[in-house]
Amino acid sequence: MSAALTAEQRLAAHDFLVAEAEALDERRYRDWLLMLTDDVRYRMPVRVTVHAGGDSQLAGMDHFDEDRYTLGKRVERLSGEHAWTEDPPSRMRRFVTNVRCAPGPGEGEIAVRSYLLLFRSRGDTRPPEWVAAERRDVLRSVGDALRLRSREITVDESVLRTQNLAVFL
Amino acid sequence: MPEIERIVETVREGRVPAGIYSQPEVFERERERLFTRTWQFLAHESEVPEPGDYVVRRVLDDSFIVVRDERGQLRALLNMCRHRGMQVCRAELGNASHFRCPYHAWTYRNTGELVGVPFHAESYGGDAVLDRGDRGLVPAPRLDTYRGMVFVSLDERAPDLREYLGGFAFYLDLYLHQSEAGVEVRGPQRWLVQANWKIGAENFAGDSYHTPHTHASIVEIGLFREPKASRRKEGALYVADRGAGTTYKLPTADLDENLAHLGYPPEMAARMRDAWSPAQRTLAGEAGFMVSASTVFPNLSLVHNWPQVDADGLVVPFISIRQWQPVGPAQTEVLSWFAVDRQAPAWFKDASYRAYLLCFGSSGMFEQDDVENWTSITSVTRGALARRTLLDSRMGLDRDGAVLASPVAGWPGPGVAYTGFGEYGQRQILRLWSEYVA
Repeated sequence: MSAALTAEQRLAAHDFLVAEAEALDERRYRDWLLMLTDDVRYRMPVRVTVHAGGDSQLAGMDHFDEDRYTLGKRVERLSGEHAWTEDPPSRMRRFVTNVRCAPGPGEGEIAVRSYLLLFRSRGDTRPPEWVAAERRDVLRSVGDALRLRSREITVDESVLRTQNLAVFL
Repeated sequence: MPEIERIVETVREGRVPAGIYSQPEVFERERERLFTRTWQFLAHESEVPEPGDYVVRRVLDDSFIVVRDERGQLRALLNMCRHRGMQVCRAELGNASHFRCPYHAWTYRNTGELVGVPFHAESYGGDAVLDRGDRGLVPAPRLDTYRGMVFVSLDERAPDLREYLGGFAFYLDLYLHQSEAGVEVRGPQRWLVQANWKIGAENFAGDSYHTPHTHASIVEIGLFREPKASRRKEGALYVADRGAGTTYKLPTADLDENLAHLGYPPEMAARMRDAWSPAQRTLAGEAGFMVSASTVFPNLSLVHNWPQVDADGLVVPFISIRQWQPVGPAQTEVLSWFAVDRQAPAWFKDASYRAYLLCFGSSGMFEQDDVENWTSITSVTRGALARRTLLDSRMGLDRDGAVLASPVAGWPGPGVAYTGFGEYGQRQILRLWSEYVA
């Protein structure tokens, strides 16, 4: 643990999340990849309905468990001409709130928790889809910029109501 | 003739009114006549390894607790209190010796036996009036397993599971019996799609024709080298009783070389050799075919692919089991499990899991494009003109309905197989469908 964060660090973390949401909403996926560290870990465990006091993460199963290679492949696919699920593309809006910053686990790292609400609209007849989640991120200073070192996405539905995760959260 | 009868008759004749993929009357008929009589997959035994372990699963709207009781016996108990109909278990998994109804505290052992009724003697007059022995949780009328897969049927007169599966069990073994230990599963991922359940079932049963186009992006990014049309049509499509599926052609006539090509390490290949019958070894060896997608009628599918999972070019196979659980005529919950041989080395299990996440499931890159198609079909077939328009599922047949291709000579498995493209498996699913809903 390093010392308490400065106001500048908190602002930088905030700005990072907002800029990231903008890149994803605008489907600038190659820009998004540049916002990740080479050793990024990106995980979204499956949530389950359990009795009070139980563990609501399903052991051993995730919606995403990614590294730089697999995220790169997903972006490469979405950037090509034949990823039909996103052609025509979804109209997306990411609302990022309740941002809490704390010193991260390593030197130059910030631990950030945020809430995310994704609105996703496809076509003209389907109802829109929503995904609500909390994200626990570690951001690392690389040169002048912050990059995403790790993210754990705690989704609030046990049965997702979005047709697929051809989107990043 | 009522419209539903005309629709069923049309399908029996081998033609497909588009409305079968969205019409409420069709779904009502399926609910009445199909899902009440078929064998339905609920869980894999590895999900409930210890006494008291349970998962809650559905057969359409019927909720079942699949539980291993204190003696180790598997049970599927209707999740409904015998008093006022409350769900006795509202979690989707856990471990419990008893289930207590939240409403009035009637309490059941995990065998289903009713053991606790508050004020039983003074308010009910004890067992002489309310016999607890007669008020247990209702068990599924039939329960049986095959290779650890737990199935139930709501029909007491359903044929035995093994008889129901028929020749398709041979192909199931190639996924689920890669060693004497069998598979373990993880999951499921669950998500809702605005699509009719039959579309996925038909697709997995034999649609090798969609792979080169729908999944073009997978080849382009170098994730999986096989789905090119030139490779895909070399695979055999097979139909065997209550199942059908696709295969890929393997590069050699040697079992070990073929399994190595798929990314199975030698120790796993050796166990497959021991676990499989001579005919199963011949299929993947001399004949040179490996199972890929398949469907067990009506709504259970499997898939086996071998993508590249890292930048160094490591190719690793994975297996997924999935259920197309109908919610309504135009809505399906997909439950998708990852399966791997229990005796596989730890590194293989990890890499195979990564391969699964990349390709199938809620974020899988194959599945993403599939679901987009199925949602679109379901949506557009609702129209008054659309639903009575006939779709085409006759690929591989001549004008008189005879199969154009010759069956694969010396096919080592049950049923019949053809190479090239053809809608044999989809027609088999629709044929079975029309038998059940008629």
